[in-house]
Amino acid sequence: MKEIQCELQDNRIWIRVSGRIDSGNAGAVEEEMRPVITDETKTLPVLIDAEDLEYLSSAGLRIILRLRKTNTDIHIINVSSDLYEIFDMTGFTQMMTIDKAYRVVSIEGCEVIGQGANGTIYRIDRDNVVKVYNNEDALEEIQHEREVARLALILGIPTAISYDVVRVGNSYGSVFELLDAKSFSKILINEPERIDWCVAEYVDMLKRIHHTIVPEGDLPDMKVTALNWAEFMQDHLPDESAQKLLSLINAVPHDHHMIHGDYHTKNLELTGDEVLLIDMDTLAVGHPIFELASMYNAFIGFSEYDHSVIKRFQGFDLELATEFWNKSLRAYLSTNDEETIRDVEDKARIIGYTRMIRRSIRRHGLETDEGIKEIELWTKRLIELLEQKDTLLFDRNEITVIADNKNLPEVMEFLEAQLKQKDCPNKTLMQISVAVEEIFSNISNYAYTSDKGTVTIGVRFAEDGSSVTIRFADRGKPYDPLLKEDPDITLSAEEREIGGLGIFLVKKTMDEMDYRYEDGFNVLEIKKSLV
Amino acid sequence: MDIKKEQQENKLTVKVSGRLDTTTAPELESSLQESLDGVQDLTLDFSDLEYISSAGLRVLLSTQKKMNTQGNMRLTGVNEVVMEVFELTGFSEILTIEK
Repeated sequence: MKEIQCELQDNRIWIRVSGRIDSGNAGAVEEEMRPVITDETKTLPVLIDAEDLEYLSSAGLRIILRLRKTNTDIHIINVSSDLYEIFDMTGFTQMMTIDKAYRVVSIEGCEVIGQGANGTIYRIDRDNVVKVYNNEDALEEIQHEREVARLALILGIPTAISYDVVRVGNSYGSVFELLDAKSFSKILINEPERIDWCVAEYVDMLKRIHHTIVPEGDLPDMKVTALNWAEFMQDHLPDESAQKLLSLINAVPHDHHMIHGDYHTKNLELTGDEVLLIDMDTLAVGHPIFELASMYNAFIGFSEYDHSVIKRFQGFDLELATEFWNKSLRAYLSTNDEETIRDVEDKARIIGYTRMIRRSIRRHGLETDEGIKEIELWTKRLIELLEQKDTLLFDRNEITVIADNKNLPEVMEFLEAQLKQKDCPNKTLMQISVAVEEIFSNISNYAYTSDKGTVTIGVRFAEDGSSVTIRFADRGKPYDPLLKEDPDITLSAEEREIGGLGIFLVKKTMDEMDYRYEDGFNVLEIKKSLV
Repeated sequence: MDIKKEQQENKLTVKVSGRLDTTTAPELESSLQESLDGVQDLTLDFSDLEYISSAGLRVLLSTQKKMNTQGNMRLTGVNEVVMEVFELTGFSEILTIEK
């Protein structure tokens, strides 16, 4: 077998070297290259595939150095670990791009545990999974996903970080440690009675994502993406609808909170008692309506025409998917008001249909009868909704933050913005502020022992505006603050203990205070008259 | 929250403005701790204090306890909202509050 093959491909010199190259054969190897490296091909980039190269002596290294005099752009790939060390010691890794060979992993007979937009996840052994990318040239995608997953982890989102990139057949994969993990889809299929638990965890994680602030520029802006979809739709909708779609998306304010972008039950994994978010490549920033849109699509939208889609994708049927979606939306919005829920759903559907129609058309949906019927159905519904809705925004009268005193300013800002909607005397405003601070810091200090969990604070006004009810929900250890004994306020300074005053103040200034432990949540409600 | 200190011999005036809450109380506490040595007459000027919660009360109580051993402490300029908190918690009885 020849040690070297050298040819011109797509304006690039492609060299494949194999075996050993040392002083014994270096001259012959260089001779082989001569017909391809000519005056005309000087300066062209060179790609050296070292997959079968076992050894390279200094005579071999000198060939590369001479080549570099005419062709400065040299890229060496598939370098074994031993050879990489030689390149590194001799300073070659500083002079040119040298990529190590990827470990080869076989997925033959491996269980598929997840399927995302751009890859499939296989379990390769008890503790490890590999995500194999659909795209053969996926190295950039892999790099991107590793970066955003790292960013999410730093920002407090529990996720698995890939520790290795491997070769799988003609494609690439990234390897994750995922101990004995079960996706939420699998739990719903095998243990449907756990649906309420799944909903609670799923929504808790969703709120956590949506309250994570992302440094400017670190993630793509979903609004920009959605505007691109709307631009695309200009040719596929009546003028009036197309214009309305653009203006509705334009009116969504810029939002620097995180959204996952592909948040369905296959992308949430239970490992031990920890819930992990995976498939991070669609991470973005933006208003939660964009997230709800992709959730609606995953559970219902894609299956609206062909009801069997959900079964193929998630493994459960449309009935369960619809139940899960409804329960999740109700929990996310903290309301049982059917009208509010349907309103938000319809707003999400506007974005959802836009995305699905564009996706289907780009994937040649208009070239089959079934595809056309499906696109027609989505388009009809989109046009109807565009006639009905004048905004994509919805009232988020609650906030979820990590229970940590450093988040108090964010809570206070939210509270004041809510209370400002009503004419509320300054004294009452102050009393409510104190009460909210006391309860929030109590939860921050005591609810969670190890990892900080979240607390959700919701504000609801009586229909006639005469009172406000503020609800705190956390998943910490059960604790009823009403059982705490009041401090003796008649003692002298010397006799008084520091502490115990917070909850006492809440009891004294609020009109009602109610505690219950419900579905794993501490729920504390305070009510205050505003007149 | 903003803290301004003015000292004349053993007389210290501390003007606290803004919000005295869970996030700011530790700052007032450490600021007082480093200045109280040898002080016999402490005035806390609350005329620009808008808000106080139990975290603030804790700092006031520990400061009052310390001052009881070395001199006097009084509060001035307390607004209605802050005063209500003092009254509800019995602090109006243990603090010296000047109108």
